[in-house]
Amino acid sequence: MPSADLLLYFLPMSNVRNAIGESLKAALPVMLGYVVIGLPCGLMEDAIGFTPLQCFLLSCTFYSGAGQFMIPNLWLAGTPLYSIIASVSFVNSRQILYSAAFSPFFRNVGRLLSFFFAATVTDESFGVNMERFGASKSWDATHALLVNLFSMFTWSIANALGCALGALIDLPLVITSFAMTSIFICLLVTQTITRKTGVVIAVSAAGVALCKLVGLSGPAILLGALTGVVAGLIYGRRERAHGYH
Amino acid sequence: MGTTDFLILYVCTLGSMLACRCIPLFLLKGRELSPTVSEALGLIPAAAFAALVANDLFSPEAIASDPVRGMLPFVAALPVVVVARKSGSLIWSALVGMLAYACLLFATGSL
Repeated sequence: MPSADLLLYFLPMSNVRNAIGESLKAALPVMLGYVVIGLPCGLMEDAIGFTPLQCFLLSCTFYSGAGQFMIPNLWLAGTPLYSIIASVSFVNSRQILYSAAFSPFFRNVGRLLSFFFAATVTDESFGVNMERFGASKSWDATHALLVNLFSMFTWSIANALGCALGALIDLPLVITSFAMTSIFICLLVTQTITRKTGVVIAVSAAGVALCKLVGLSGPAILLGALTGVVAGLIYGRRERAHGYH
Repeated sequence: MGTTDFLILYVCTLGSMLACRCIPLFLLKGRELSPTVSEALGLIPAAAFAALVANDLFSPEAIASDPVRGMLPFVAALPVVVVARKSGSLIWSALVGMLAYACLLFATGSL
């Protein structure tokens, strides 16, 4: 009969194994999407002289699809380095919202795990983890970090591979990038839609469109989303004041 | 891009990215949040996804240069909405989206 120590040793391991399986299942659609768009991203990075190692390093630390597509495009267009840094940072400022949204779920989570989780959040893993945190009480920080890591390493390997294979690959980027758009659409329409979230969605989308029309493409996502949240708060207040649901 | 340029770009973008990703979580975690802040945090997913979708679908430049081509992402999004609502599957949504967009581009001679 196994001793109590042995049981204690194996119990966390089986929990970890379960968490790996569950997280892999949750991350799989994102991982497949990352293969499809990671290859052309690496290909573009190869075009501006990145090595596969640089692609891998950038992908598994900076880890931003939008940012990594922007860098080669802007560099090839002759944009100064400081302007590339500012534009990429602006576009990625929406991460502030994701980080804030996760804070209630990390109340009792240690600093190290919280840091590694926060440092590896992207648009797609944000969606997957938010949905799981809302749907299941057993979804915890370990599951969430594993989703991030599976996605991140897939992205990093696809990038490095795309860079190494270079011109051998000919993928129509305009089509492959629509895979990510479709994932965002799925994450959006599977949200619980109430009058208030309807207002949030409409105002956020309109906010982005308006920003892009006036030439504020860089911070469009952040400004659009913030406008939507404010509109939702105002609507919620009016809803409570008038007593309707 | 040379190694020096790469290193400057890497350090600066990584620094700003880590700040955006980590600081809000560490500032807010463990605090008793006011009802308004909690309500605002609950609205972020819908707002963020709506903003991301709108950003991907709407391109004023594409619509201005070729209105038909500029509207194709909106049309391709329709079957994705149907599949996403029915299946809730990210994989099926991605596959249907790519297929629909490829067919539309091919049909309009844009591919």
